[in-house]
Amino acid sequence: MTTEAAPPEFDLHTPQKWWQGLFTQERIATTFVSLVVAIAVILPLITLVVSSFLVLDDLGFDTEWGLENYRELFGDRLIRKAFVNTLMISSGTTILATFLGVSLAWINARTNCPWRESLEPFNLIPFFMSPFVGAIAWHNLASPKVGLLNNLARSLFGIEGHILNVDNIYGIIWVTGIFFTPLVYLFVIGSLRRMDPSLEDSARTTGAGLITTTMRITLPLVTPAILSGAIIVFVTSAGEFGVPFKLGTPYGVETLTTQIFTKAVGDDANHYLGAAISMSLGIITGLFIWIQRRVIAPREYTTVTGKGFRPNIIDLGKWKWAALGFNLFYIFVAVFIPLICLFIVSLHPVWEGRIIVEDFTIINYQKAVFWWSPEAIESATNGIGNSIFLALTGATIAMFLAIIVSYMIHRTKGMGSRLLDYLCLIPIGFPGIVLAMGVLITYIQTPIYATLWILMLGYITRFFPYGQRNISSIMMAVSEELDQSSRMAGATWMTTLWRITIPLLKPGIFAGWILLFVIFLRELSISIILYTAGTETLSVGVYYLSNFENEPMTAALSLAQSLLLLACVVVFRRIAGREALTA
Amino acid sequence: MNQSETNGQYLEINNLVKYFGDDRAVDGISFSVPEGKFLTLLGPSGCGKTTTLMCIAGLLKPDSGEITVGGASFTSTEKKIFLAPEKRDIGMVFQSYAIWPHMTVEKNISYPLEIRKINASEIDDRVMEIIRLVGLEDMVGKDATQLSGGQQQRTALARAIVCRPSLLLFDEPLSNLDLKLRERMRIELKRIQHEIGITSVYVTHDQAEALVMSDEIIVMSKGHIEQTGGPHAIYARPANRYVSNFIGIANLIAGKIARTTDSGRAEIEVVQGGERLILPCLLGEGLKTGDDAFLSVRPENVHAVRERPEGPSMEGEVIQTVFLGNHLDCRVRWQDFEWKVQAHPRERLREGESVFVRLDADHTLAVQP
Amino acid sequence: MPFVEIERLVKRFGEEVAVAGIDLNIEKGEFVTLLGPSGCGKTTTLRCIAGLERPDAGEIRIEGEVLASADKDIYLSPEDRNLGMVFQSYAVWPHMTVFNNVAFGLKIRGVGAGETKEKTDKALKLVGLAEVTDRYATKLSGGQRQRVALARAIVYGPRVVLFDEPLSNLDAKLREQMRIEIVRLQREVGITTIYVTHDQAEALVMSDRIVIMDKGVIQQIGDPETIYARPANAFVANFIGTANLMEGKFLGREGELADMEISAGEGRPPIRLKVPGTEGVAEGQRVILSLRPEDVSLHLESPAAPGPNLLEGEIIDTIYQGNFLDCQVRVGPHEVGVQMDHFEQLASGQKVYLTFEPDHGLLLTE
Repeated sequence: MTTEAAPPEFDLHTPQKWWQGLFTQERIATTFVSLVVAIAVILPLITLVVSSFLVLDDLGFDTEWGLENYRELFGDRLIRKAFVNTLMISSGTTILATFLGVSLAWINARTNCPWRESLEPFNLIPFFMSPFVGAIAWHNLASPKVGLLNNLARSLFGIEGHILNVDNIYGIIWVTGIFFTPLVYLFVIGSLRRMDPSLEDSARTTGAGLITTTMRITLPLVTPAILSGAIIVFVTSAGEFGVPFKLGTPYGVETLTTQIFTKAVGDDANHYLGAAISMSLGIITGLFIWIQRRVIAPREYTTVTGKGFRPNIIDLGKWKWAALGFNLFYIFVAVFIPLICLFIVSLHPVWEGRIIVEDFTIINYQKAVFWWSPEAIESATNGIGNSIFLALTGATIAMFLAIIVSYMIHRTKGMGSRLLDYLCLIPIGFPGIVLAMGVLITYIQTPIYATLWILMLGYITRFFPYGQRNISSIMMAVSEELDQSSRMAGATWMTTLWRITIPLLKPGIFAGWILLFVIFLRELSISIILYTAGTETLSVGVYYLSNFENEPMTAALSLAQSLLLLACVVVFRRIAGREALTA
Repeated sequence: MNQSETNGQYLEINNLVKYFGDDRAVDGISFSVPEGKFLTLLGPSGCGKTTTLMCIAGLLKPDSGEITVGGASFTSTEKKIFLAPEKRDIGMVFQSYAIWPHMTVEKNISYPLEIRKINASEIDDRVMEIIRLVGLEDMVGKDATQLSGGQQQRTALARAIVCRPSLLLFDEPLSNLDLKLRERMRIELKRIQHEIGITSVYVTHDQAEALVMSDEIIVMSKGHIEQTGGPHAIYARPANRYVSNFIGIANLIAGKIARTTDSGRAEIEVVQGGERLILPCLLGEGLKTGDDAFLSVRPENVHAVRERPEGPSMEGEVIQTVFLGNHLDCRVRWQDFEWKVQAHPRERLREGESVFVRLDADHTLAVQP
Repeated sequence: MPFVEIERLVKRFGEEVAVAGIDLNIEKGEFVTLLGPSGCGKTTTLRCIAGLERPDAGEIRIEGEVLASADKDIYLSPEDRNLGMVFQSYAVWPHMTVFNNVAFGLKIRGVGAGETKEKTDKALKLVGLAEVTDRYATKLSGGQRQRVALARAIVYGPRVVLFDEPLSNLDAKLREQMRIEIVRLQREVGITTIYVTHDQAEALVMSDRIVIMDKGVIQQIGDPETIYARPANAFVANFIGTANLMEGKFLGREGELADMEISAGEGRPPIRLKVPGTEGVAEGQRVILSLRPEDVSLHLESPAAPGPNLLEGEIIDTIYQGNFLDCQVRVGPHEVGVQMDHFEQLASGQKVYLTFEPDHGLLLTE
């Protein structure tokens, strides 16, 4: 074989002019996407800041500049109380979720607890479920009067009054705590699994026993992961709307999110005061996320090495049955009991806390779920179609953005990529309800208001960084040379993206897509601010039934939503495998 | 291809400069490679060798300079030309092999042909021909993820040469293989390059690799060229202290040229801990009487003997012996200097023994500092 | 009584037998290397000694104390064995300073603060890290981490120190330097050492004795010179250094020497060679001649006094290595590697003559 001239379609002799370099496929695509992302993220924040300094006059028509909103923030007794409650709920939730998450992670990663491989997927189910639905279920399980558990206790043990009550701040902590446990669990179990076992082996050969090694080597090494998980839980529960709305608002427990809600919609709506409350919540959560990403995450000792380790397994002896019991307890209170309760409640025409088999009916499903049935309540059933449309389209658009954004962050150098990295951090730092406030004020005068597209915009802006992180983790592990060698083989940037980069990222793209699909299907705190009649979503439907109809109908739609989400969990595990979630 | 204006040189690099921030990674280097030859850019990490290669590939854009292949300008800051990498028709083998894990072995290899829209039957023929050439017959139909390190290396090579590129670039392709495999692949790569005759530029920090594989070696440091020459010339006649130290192992002592003769020989004066010696040696380029210089001699040309030899010798003590099977690495202390000596195991030198060090004058060199 | 005794050690992983019943005795103060290709069972053996793996059969004793015995159902935890170990990944704890890493073993043993400081400083000085004691492990280079791991393993005076390929993550120059340093340290402290590696140069340079393993079985035990000069079988001959292995027929002994013949290719009379005599080989038996490339001399002209062994061949290929020129020479059906210590311009196909001294060859029967 000898060297031949290049094939004719390979024109080597027409040199490019310098200006042609400005219009490469790469430049055009990345510039376009960065602009879209920048506008989507920054615009609502600017409006939020600006409108928080606009004060509504007494008549409620005109506005003028001033600090009145912020003065009211500290002056209004209700808002001050909400502030304290938010901090208490977030702290309590963080303590509960961290305790549960760390214990479960350790049991699953490092002990010989029986059946731990089969139990692991169940530990993650709450991650995919709606905490709002969890609150509805636990309300029906353990509210003083109609709580199923309280009624069982009354009839079995003949006690007066009740043994459990979740309609208060502790109930909110309980439900958010068990639902956010997987956030800590995922951080910690990832860290435990990626740890080089010789770090522990060397402590053993140096003379440290099992307990000393665990306390002085293993635990300190996973501390950054625990802190990361704890901060994420704190921030997420500060931004949680559904649980306090269900278990707090009716009983006089207000939080910042429920306060934002009342300022955004309803009779005494005041978007400018709402913006100020949103700002205060956003600044707190943003600060925490900044600390987590820039201070704690870089200190992680067990970073991704791409190396598989066989972790050391500790023999618990008889205690392994206690560990199993603990794990089963978690799965029961977080998954099985709530779902069974919803099912039972949904079969009753009215719910009074007692199971009455002869009254069983499917009327609630006909009204709340079966959108084709004549009895269907449209405000509830509208949400099914809307949410599926939003989830399908939204997840697809968000992942497309995520691919280009990840490419820019990891494959290009300079200011642009660092700026974009920060830009992706912003939505993670701001609770959905805060961002939704910004989106509402920004676009209320535009044609997209009162359409599904404003919801879509809110969803994608808030959640596309989740998809981006899914892709980024894979992109960091994939050598840049894989792309470069395609360019050297003669493929253009676009061809390379399509034939090499995207196929390589496929697992991350699928995992990210399904994650977003699930999040969009259960989304409440953005939807509740941005929906109008006709653009209800699944969770808004549940909210509507809970607020304006009865518990059995609410339970029916809640159960339908939960089963849909469960189906996604199964698909997610099939495609992504167990490691894909570890943040 | 039009080669009338290339003076027999195929690849020409002229005054190439590349900055990273304020750091001048490539500091205005020029070199050329005749058609079909194998050139190695050798140097420690950060010397600019990979940056130079990336500029040739078009994966980096130089700040100034010109790159011409077979008469066609790939990059010229003067003429404002910069050809995109995919338009250069260059084959490249990367350090990480960069085998696409989502494709089979054949798909990896046929990719460049598919991109060029060559018809299917010709693609099949050419892929099979290349697979035989690199010895991957057993892996046909396998997924890329099933390949061992060496097989990935072969696949990467096959993919780089399948469309018969005008130039072949290698970026430290063997550094991820284990020692035994690396030694085998050096010879294999060299054989295949020789067979297909594509002009090649190879980047490595491994001097043994450069010696074994190259027609010509360019030794680089800090963005500029230290020496250019064939393997034997570079090893036996290093131009300066840097090259002498970087290629192989060398004993280097500072001295002064005492006398030169017409036949390229000289005498060098060395002072060490009160002892002053005049040693015969070969005169390196650019040196004359009275110049400061370094005496450079390889361990295999230093002899440690028990009886005082004729001619200049240095009395010292064996302070370390390391048995390596086919030879014995020794250290002999003479005054403040430690001679590295490569001895035969049968000489049975022992630590603590008193010996005389004698240099082989035909292989002792005075080099620039 | 030997210091460390290993008897009929067996370790299985599921179906696969990693260590297939090995016996090994190690004297006090000795540096013994377990050498072999990956999967030969060397690391598993080491981990059994450390107590990180539980043997399926056999017994391990140190100073007569039984550490593990499958028959007696004894299995001491690693922390109860008073050994030191250095791991391939260094395993330096990233959440502690260098000082605390090294002091850990002393603190665990309840040593007082003053003595801990004194001993730790001494150990850090010994490995040349006295300057960086307060630095966190994440801020250290690979070589420095290796030194921390080393200091940590010896500071509390363990009975034996175990090394699991400690240098394989370092670059070539640093690796060569660390070899010498570890040996120097070991001599200085006088501690019994078991060292695992796949790198034959490392084993030759460092060890008092080398144990060559393959497929879970010991192939040869001996000091470096013996292993290199008198490999017990073809596996050892090829694993340590390179060897030309040529199959031939044994013709009979003649005093110290023996005669054998190798094929010269079809249609040609076989070549007769003089080689060192070996016990217990029958006339006409198949044998393998092992010949090191550096022991073969290459001549361009037919030598005037060739000695008893003369082979004619032609150059296949030459590889210039700087200090050596490796030549491949075709002799009949054989390919013979020759290592020359000077540069010579040789063309492939060129006719050359090879000679070697009878006592440089070695006869192997398997």
